[in-house]
Parts: sequence; structure tokens; C-alpha cells
Amino acid sequence: MKGEEVTLEIEPGTDIMEVNKQLAKKNIELLRKHNVTAIDIMGSIGAGKTSLIEKLVQMLKKRYRIAVFKGDLTTTIDAERIGRHGVKVVTINTGLECHLDANVVSKAVERISLQDIDLLFIENVGNLICPAEFPLGTEKRLVIVSVTEGPYMVVKHPFTFMTADVTVINKKDLADIMKVDTEQLKKQVKEIKPNMKVAVTNALTGEGVEELIEALEL
Amino acid sequence: MHELSMTTQIVDSVLEEAKKQDAKRVTEVHLVIGKLTFLGIEQVRFAYNILVKDTIMKGSKLIVEEKGGVIECPSCGYKGAIPCEDDPTYHVPIPTLRCPKCGKSAKILEGKECTIRSIKMLK
Repeated sequence: MKGEEVTLEIEPGTDIMEVNKQLAKKNIELLRKHNVTAIDIMGSIGAGKTSLIEKLVQMLKKRYRIAVFKGDLTTTIDAERIGRHGVKVVTINTGLECHLDANVVSKAVERISLQDIDLLFIENVGNLICPAEFPLGTEKRLVIVSVTEGPYMVVKHPFTFMTADVTVINKKDLADIMKVDTEQLKKQVKEIKPNMKVAVTNALTGEGVEELIEALEL
Repeated sequence: MHELSMTTQIVDSVLEEAKKQDAKRVTEVHLVIGKLTFLGIEQVRFAYNILVKDTIMKGSKLIVEEKGGVIECPSCGYKGAIPCEDDPTYHVPIPTLRCPKCGKSAKILEGKECTIRSIKMLK
């Protein structure tokens, strides 16, 4: 099969990431139109994402009308935990997918009435890597690490921290037992991104969560 | 990390373009992958070879050009390659958004893209 060989230059180039970026832009525009502040919460399995959201909901539900999107592979366990606090929860079961993307978030948005809420927490799938690549269309991104994950979480994942606006270092009560220095972690986060806001918390007792609320400008 | 799904999108886009051009075969695909994406080039190649098997892209050459990260500082206007700092605790180089000129936080300008630069095809 001989033929004429043609080189096709694609200018400025088809960005494969563009589809998600465009959907994320649509999401944030829609949320802003309804004055809804959305916050993406990223972190490893067991870092304390759900516990933190529970505390945030408890402390903020008098001031804001809150909804929570809960990314979860298969179950509704966490949705039930958060739902107990009397806020609207939408579970996004991702099946085998390791992160949320702007498309599944746009589908979840259709399931709530935006005029009835002011604040939306989106709990990403437990994973410190993949979610960083997929902006959802939120005002802020929060990343939570816990001292039980060991001392290398920050230095090993610089690109994840670069995409975040606020970092939470959780389970501060276990820092001594784990021989992890929270000040050291804080310094590393600031080294990667000098304007990062950092809160050191115990999400179960609520210690440090007031500072986090301030860091989130809520 | 998401090499298979990303490469599926790449192959689909190339096939779509080839169809538009009425091409008989695709002989070469030139990709640009930013170093700040979480894409492993080896895994992209692996996925590519599997995905093109039963298509007119079979046997095509895949060129992958890596593009380094570039930052821009909104405070002082500095623009340049993403710097690395040595972490004194573990002595590992950590990429940082700290502006080397003024010390404030810079923004990522380049390095997060994955684009198809060109396609060679037989008509």
C-alpha cells in the first residue's frame, strides 16, 4: 500500500488533559453563579478526610448551608457518617477509578439544588497522587496528610502539594508515638509552596480545626 | 498513572484525525508530554503498542518529546525552569514553586500538558 506521506501538524496541539480542564471550568462557573464555595479534599486512605469533614460540618453548619460529595469506590459507609450531621450527601461511587474528575462532579452537581447551599465539600477518593492531576472546578483544594503515614509524605509527593491551597497535618496527638515532627512537615510544605496555609489538627477532637476554618477563609 | 486511559484518548484523537484526512495508514505520532504530568513515558509506549494493534496505526512510530516544567512568578515576574531545593533532612531534591528571585509562590506555566504535536500519515 504505497501512498503519499503527509505530515499533519496539529497546532497549537490537542491537549489530552483539556477535556477535564474545560469541564472543571464549567463546574466552577456554575458554582460561582449560585454563590457556592466548593472545596476539594484530597488525601491518602486513612488520612482522616471523612473525620475532618465531619468536624468541619459540625462547626460550620450553623453559618452555612452545606452539601458534601463523597467519592468512594463502592460503599456508602462514609456518606452515612457525614449524613448523620444533617447535611445533604451525594455519594459518587467511582467503581475502580482512583480519583474524581470534573465530569463525575458535574453529574453530582445535577443531583443537588445549588440555590439551597452555600458550601460544598468534595471528598476525593483516598489517594495522594491521582486526584492532583484532575482539577474538579473548586475554589480551593485541601490536602490532608496524617503523621501515621510517616515522615516522607510531603517530600515524596511535591506535585500533589503544588496543586493545593491548604494543607492539613492530621493526627497530631500521635506525632510523638510515630516519631514524626509536625513542624518538619510544615516546613517542607512551605518549601514546596511558600504561600501554602497549613493547619495541624486532630480531626477527632477538633483541635486545630478552628485554625483550618480560618485558613479556608470560611 | 493514567497512561492507559490517556493513551486511549490519544489513539482515538489520532484515528479521528486520520479519518478526517482520509488516510490509509498512520506512520508516525509525535507527542509532547510535560514533566509535571503524572504520565510515565514507558507506560504510555506500552499502552500505545497494545491499543494500535487492530487499527491503521499499527506499526506506527511513537515519538515522545518531554517538556520541562516552567514557572512564572506573579509577584516579581520571574519566568524560568522549575527550581529544585535540597531537603536538608533527607538530602533529596524537591521541586518547588518558591520563586528563586523573590521567594514568593510562583505558578506553573508549562509542564502539565500532554499534546499531540503532529501525525504522519499515508493517503
